[in-house]
Amino acid sequence: MRLLVFFVAKRNPSFFIRVYPRDSRRLPVRFTKVTLQNFRNLPLAAVALAGRRTFLCGPNGQGKTNFLEAVGYVTALRSFRGAEPRALLALGQAQAGLGFEIEHETFGTSRLTVELAGDRREVMWEQGKVTRLGDFIGKFPTVVFSSQDSQFMRGAPSARRRWLDLTLAAMDPTYLAGLQSYHRALSERNALLKQGGRDAASLSAFEHELATHAVTLVARRTEGVAQLSDLFRQAHARLVPEGELAVLNYAPDAVTAGREAFAAELVAARPRDTMLKSTSIGPHRDDVELLLNGRPAKHFASEGQQRCLVLALRLAQAAYYATKGGVAPVLLCDDVLGELDPVRRGKFWAALEGDPQVIATGTALPDGDDASWQVFDVNAGAITPAL
Amino acid sequence: MTPALENLQKQLKQLPGIGYRSAERLALHLLVSQPARLPELVSALEHAARSVRRCAVCGNLAEEELCPICSDGKRHGGQLCVVENVPDLAAIERSGAYRGRYHVLHGKLSPIRDVAPEDLNLGPLLARLAAGEVTELILALSNDVEGEATCHYLTERLPANGVQVTRIGFGLPSGGGVLYADAVTLKSALEGRRHYS
Repeated sequence: MRLLVFFVAKRNPSFFIRVYPRDSRRLPVRFTKVTLQNFRNLPLAAVALAGRRTFLCGPNGQGKTNFLEAVGYVTALRSFRGAEPRALLALGQAQAGLGFEIEHETFGTSRLTVELAGDRREVMWEQGKVTRLGDFIGKFPTVVFSSQDSQFMRGAPSARRRWLDLTLAAMDPTYLAGLQSYHRALSERNALLKQGGRDAASLSAFEHELATHAVTLVARRTEGVAQLSDLFRQAHARLVPEGELAVLNYAPDAVTAGREAFAAELVAARPRDTMLKSTSIGPHRDDVELLLNGRPAKHFASEGQQRCLVLALRLAQAAYYATKGGVAPVLLCDDVLGELDPVRRGKFWAALEGDPQVIATGTALPDGDDASWQVFDVNAGAITPAL
Repeated sequence: MTPALENLQKQLKQLPGIGYRSAERLALHLLVSQPARLPELVSALEHAARSVRRCAVCGNLAEEELCPICSDGKRHGGQLCVVENVPDLAAIERSGAYRGRYHVLHGKLSPIRDVAPEDLNLGPLLARLAAGEVTELILALSNDVEGEATCHYLTERLPANGVQVTRIGFGLPSGGGVLYADAVTLKSALEGRRHYS
C-alpha cells in the first residue's frame, strides 16, 4: 500500500521546490502542515497550522499527545516518550506515515516524510532519502514541555543525564558519536568483569579506550552545562519574582583530571568492579543538579517553585538550540499551560524569545489567555477545527 | 523438496550475505539449471579446502608454507602492517601503495563477542618484532573502540627494541569534498591534519 503522503508528494512535485522567505528577519522553525496516517490512535489526520499558536483541545485519551509526539519525532527521529518504533503504529497496522511541511530559516519551505514499518523507518527530505541520520538529527528542533517533567527533577539521575545527552547531541553529532564509543568501551569492560576480570592486559586496553572517551565526554558536558546554566538562570529570572536564583550544576561521578588519572582510578576500582560485575565509576553515573538559591531544588523547592524550575529548564533547552543551531525551536506544550495560574502563564509568554511556534494541548483552552490560538478539537483520533 | 536439497540450502544459508531466498535460488540453480557444472564446483571446493591454509609467518592465506607476499624477496622487511582480516590485506594490496610486509590478526579484541587475546594471531607477531628486522609497525586496524583497544594492547606488549609505531590516517575519502563528509569524519580529518609543504 502506497501511503497517502507519498502519493501527494509524487503528484505535486512543487512540494520539493524551495521557497525562501522574503522576510530577512530571523524566522523560527514552523510547521505549516502535518499529515499523519496510522500513527498511534490517529487513523488519518491532516492539520494545516495557521500562525504560531495552535491549541489541541479535548478530553484525555483522544490523541492530543500522540499528535505532539509525531511532531517531536522530527527532531531526533525518536519518540519523546521513549516509545519503541513498533509502538507508534496504529493497532493492527503494518506501517505508518508522517508528512510535514516545514518553514525553516535556512532550508526555506521543505517537505519531509517519515515512513515507519516495524522497526524500520525511512525519512525522505526534499529530493531524497536521508541515509545519514546523524546529519539529520537536530535540523528541525522541537522542545517538549510535559506534565511529566516534574518527575524528571525528583527522579533518578539517569533521566537528567538522558536530557543532557539528548540536548547536547541534538546540536552536535560528534557528541553522540563520542557517547556511543564510551558506552561501547563500557560494555566491553563489563564483559571482561563478568568473565571474572582475570585478563588484566585486556582490561587495561579497554580502560584506556574508556578513559579517552570519558575525558572528552566530561569536558563536553562541563562546557554544555555551563552554557545551559546561564540560559536556565536567565529564563528562570523571567518566570519568578526577584530574589530566587536558579543554577544548573554538573556533578561528574568520577574526578577526571585527565586520561591517565581516570585510567588509574579504573585500575584501582577493579577488585570492587569484579565483584559487582560492572563498572562503578565514570560519566555513565554523572548527574545534573538543579539548585535554587544554592540548595538542591528536589529537597527544598515548593511544588510551585519546582514547576517554574522545570519550565525554565525547557526554556533553557530551547534557547540552547536557538543559540547553537541558529533557529528557534518549536515548543510542544503537553498539558502544561492549563496547570499554570494566569500570572505564571503571563510570565511564561513573556519569557519566550524569538516568537517561536507553540503547539499546545489541554482539556480546555486556558482561560484569560491573550494568545490568539488556532483551536482544534481532538476526539477519538479525529482532529477537526473548532467552531 | 527433498531432504538432500534441504540440507544443501541449509549449508548455503550459512554463508555470509546469503539469506533464505538466495540459498534456495543457488541450490536450484546448481541442481536444476546447471547440473553439469556441479562436479567442477565440488572439486574446486575440495581442492581449495585441501590446499589453502594460513601462512606460517603472517597469517595470510597460502598454498605453500609461506604466502606469496612473505616469499617475495622484493618486499621491504623493515615495514610491517598489521590488519584485522585477509580482506583488509587484499584491499591494501589492491591500492598498490604499500611494498612492506603484513601481519593478519584474524580479528580484534572484543570480550562482548568472546574474542580474547589468545584467539588472535598475536604471538607470532611479537616473535617477528623481537627478531629485530622490523623498524616500523603500521597499525591498520579500524578506528572503532575494539580496533583502538587492540592497538593499545599490542603497543603495551612490544619488545623493547625501539620499533617505530604508526597508525594509518582516518579522514576524508580521496576526491571527495569537505561538503559531503559527515561531522564525525570531518572531526577526525581535522585532528589528523598535517604540516603542509
